Amino acid sequence: MWFTSIFLKTLRDFRIAILGWGVGMGLVMFEVQATVGSLVSTPAARATLVSLAGSFAWNADPVAVDTVGGYATWKVGIFILLVAIWPLMACSRLLRGEEERGSLDVLLSLPRGRLRVALEKLAAVWTALLLMGLLIALITFAGGKSFNADYSLGDALLFGLNLVLICGVFGSIALLLSQFTQERGTAAGVTGGLLLVFIVLDMVHRVIPGTEWLSRLSPVYYYNLSKPLVPSYGTNPGALLVLLGLSVLLSGAALLLFVRRDVGATVALPSFLRLPERIVRPEQALPVNAWSLRSVYARSLAKIAFPTFWWTLGIAGFAAWMVVVVKQIEGQLKTLAASSSFLRDLITKVGGGDVNFNANLLSALFFLLPLLLMAFAVTQANRWAADEEEGRQELVLATPQPRLTVLLARFGALTTATVIIGVLTLAATALASAASGLALDGGNLAAATLSIIPLGLLMAALGYLFSGWLRTAVDTGLLSFLLVIWFFISFVGPGLNWPDTTLRLSAFYYYGTPLLHGLPLGDTLGVLAVAVAALVLASARFVRKDIGR
Amino acid sequence: MTAIIEVEGLTKSYGSKRGITNVSFRVEEGEVFGFLGPNGAGKTTTIRLLMALLRADAGTARIAGLDCWQHSVEIKRLVGYLPGEPALDPGLTGGQILEYFGHLRGGVDQTYLKQLIKRLDLDPTRKFRQYSSGNKRKVVLIQAFMHRPRLLILDEPTNGLDPLNQQEFDRMVKEVRDEGRTVFLSSHILSEVEQTCTRAGIIREGQLVRVGGIAELKDIKRYEITITFANAVPAEAFKTLDGVAQVETLADGHTLRLTMQGEADAVIKAAAQHAVVTLTSHEPSLEDIFLRYYEGDGEALKEASHVVH
Repeated sequence: MWFTSIFLKTLRDFRIAILGWGVGMGLVMFEVQATVGSLVSTPAARATLVSLAGSFAWNADPVAVDTVGGYATWKVGIFILLVAIWPLMACSRLLRGEEERGSLDVLLSLPRGRLRVALEKLAAVWTALLLMGLLIALITFAGGKSFNADYSLGDALLFGLNLVLICGVFGSIALLLSQFTQERGTAAGVTGGLLLVFIVLDMVHRVIPGTEWLSRLSPVYYYNLSKPLVPSYGTNPGALLVLLGLSVLLSGAALLLFVRRDVGATVALPSFLRLPERIVRPEQALPVNAWSLRSVYARSLAKIAFPTFWWTLGIAGFAAWMVVVVKQIEGQLKTLAASSSFLRDLITKVGGGDVNFNANLLSALFFLLPLLLMAFAVTQANRWAADEEEGRQELVLATPQPRLTVLLARFGALTTATVIIGVLTLAATALASAASGLALDGGNLAAATLSIIPLGLLMAALGYLFSGWLRTAVDTGLLSFLLVIWFFISFVGPGLNWPDTTLRLSAFYYYGTPLLHGLPLGDTLGVLAVAVAALVLASARFVRKDIGR
Repeated sequence: MTAIIEVEGLTKSYGSKRGITNVSFRVEEGEVFGFLGPNGAGKTTTIRLLMALLRADAGTARIAGLDCWQHSVEIKRLVGYLPGEPALDPGLTGGQILEYFGHLRGGVDQTYLKQLIKRLDLDPTRKFRQYSSGNKRKVVLIQAFMHRPRLLILDEPTNGLDPLNQQEFDRMVKEVRDEGRTVFLSSHILSEVEQTCTRAGIIREGQLVRVGGIAELKDIKRYEITITFANAVPAEAFKTLDGVAQVETLADGHTLRLTMQGEADAVIKAAAQHAVVTLTSHEPSLEDIFLRYYEGDGEALKEASHVVH
């Protein structure tokens, strides 16, 4: 049955993603709702939660946060948008990925029009998104029922639909961009960057008054206009229609361009947008004399340079922006804390650490930094595995370069990139801190930004290790799963008072709260030691294994 | 002559799937050795074992007296390798790829490299993704030749090359042989091996069934002649002629398909006694030969006993 049409075959390819993302995000929603009871156990606690939520408005509008649905909506805030990573990956791969592999030529040789082929594939993405949304909605509703939420099944379904629509927008952006890029990775990377930019754009109006006009430019703004889990706030049909309209418009443009362009080529840009072509006569082509061609390390560094640039921009930019956000809400938070001793405990549950206003709040936000760097490491581990699987290592290993050298050179390039991201994040936050006048301890700031490096290396080393046995898709899936599980443990664990032994299962635990307490040297060295051990095992495996396709 | 490649009892399986079983042969220094076999026979597996990209389950493979797995780095200094399905960074130009591999090999003679580029008429300014499959093959071919290796290991080197470039490739191989260097090339095209190689081995279903000089292997070369006559002609008139191995009458009764082994003189003379509408001759693929010649009659086993070590 699954091989009877392009639609069904494509949908079949998504089956694990549907279950993984649907159940995973559903469980996050379920567990977040479980924490509400302990946070609103007394009227004072309830009042403090409501007050505190206002200080965390950067994350989401604090609407009815003392209710199960309202708290869940506010708490998951921007984090739920992680689910948009799937459609942007899937849609960048949808046509461009098949063109890269050459499989689209075969598909288009069938007696079906191009538009039909593309529509069937796109329909499969939307079906997958709807199924994910349904799973998330049903598990969320189950959580709501268990913890006495006041929203209905219909509200939960609308919550799922809202999520599907914002995901659809980012999928459509990726699909459109992939018409202009030679590689799916570029389209996915740029869309990922846009996701971050749009999240920050939406955040602006909640932090800086009078900037709503700017936030309206972000699709995330329209997503946040609906809060179906808060019955008193409800769903904004107009906003849903805007998201749907955007998806239709962007996907329509992508399909229109696809049916008109050459397969395997990109849409031709107008001449004023094209980079000037460098004309080199064939007889002058050699020697190239490029630094990046001198060794495996240099080549690996050159390959990683472009994604590193964008991830640095995202991570360092996000960290600097967080500093600005904290400065904006500094005064408000101080007043709040002075009026409530309960706040200390609450902040610990929401973000972690004691009260040390600026650093404490930033510490909660900086929890995202290792997550982002580890996500970057996952993408690079994926490239390592893919290069071997797709045969790009074969000729390199046919030169007199020992296998160990090849692996270490590649990992060395990734380490360099990771260190650059860490150092530039430190520089960006220090600059933002100086420019905004937010007082922070320099040593702790350095610890908070630089101690993300071992976590990135840990993720990469694990990816290299798994790739010794697993195929690229499974390797990447396992790493992503691990990342989500760790995030899940650290995100909801403290709120649910999970035992320390459970919290220690997450790598994020060992990041600690360096902005407050400085570098947890033992934990950091421990993470590094595990990363080194994983790399040693990965090397031992790589020098013995069959290099395969 | 000394052996540059010595393979003894080499065995490799992929889990439950067959790779190669107990393969043994020697290639002498200075010869051009063809490794023939249909698709999936085990040619690439053997080559990847020689290149230490795969690890053997059993047996040994040596190049220049060095174990291929234990001394892979030393061996790769001596070898130029062309993989069957080259995959390279699509964003690099041909020139950048050649320079990169030149650096990984510790530097190459730029004048010779430029000569090779010119001979194969490659534009090195284009990105790898923009090349046609033939031009991609040229980049990898130049990469294999550019450091003047003592041994060239080439997996189906002429796949995708046009006839002019195939001729140029033949000349390059002859030059290598004249310089006393060795070429080990795999192919599934019998005529290519016949034209280029001095000796050949035939592999089928993971087992080496024959190794010998090209002249010794001629007896397996068959071809087909299809003759369409103006009127129906009985097949019996051709069955006993010299060089005819088999005759088939096609549906309309006017067409005969003859499987030939040897000279066609007798067939042409016999056909001339009738009104001939068309006459075509074609060389069957090696797979056809294997299917018709080896399968079903136990010949493969019989041939295996003729393996020359």
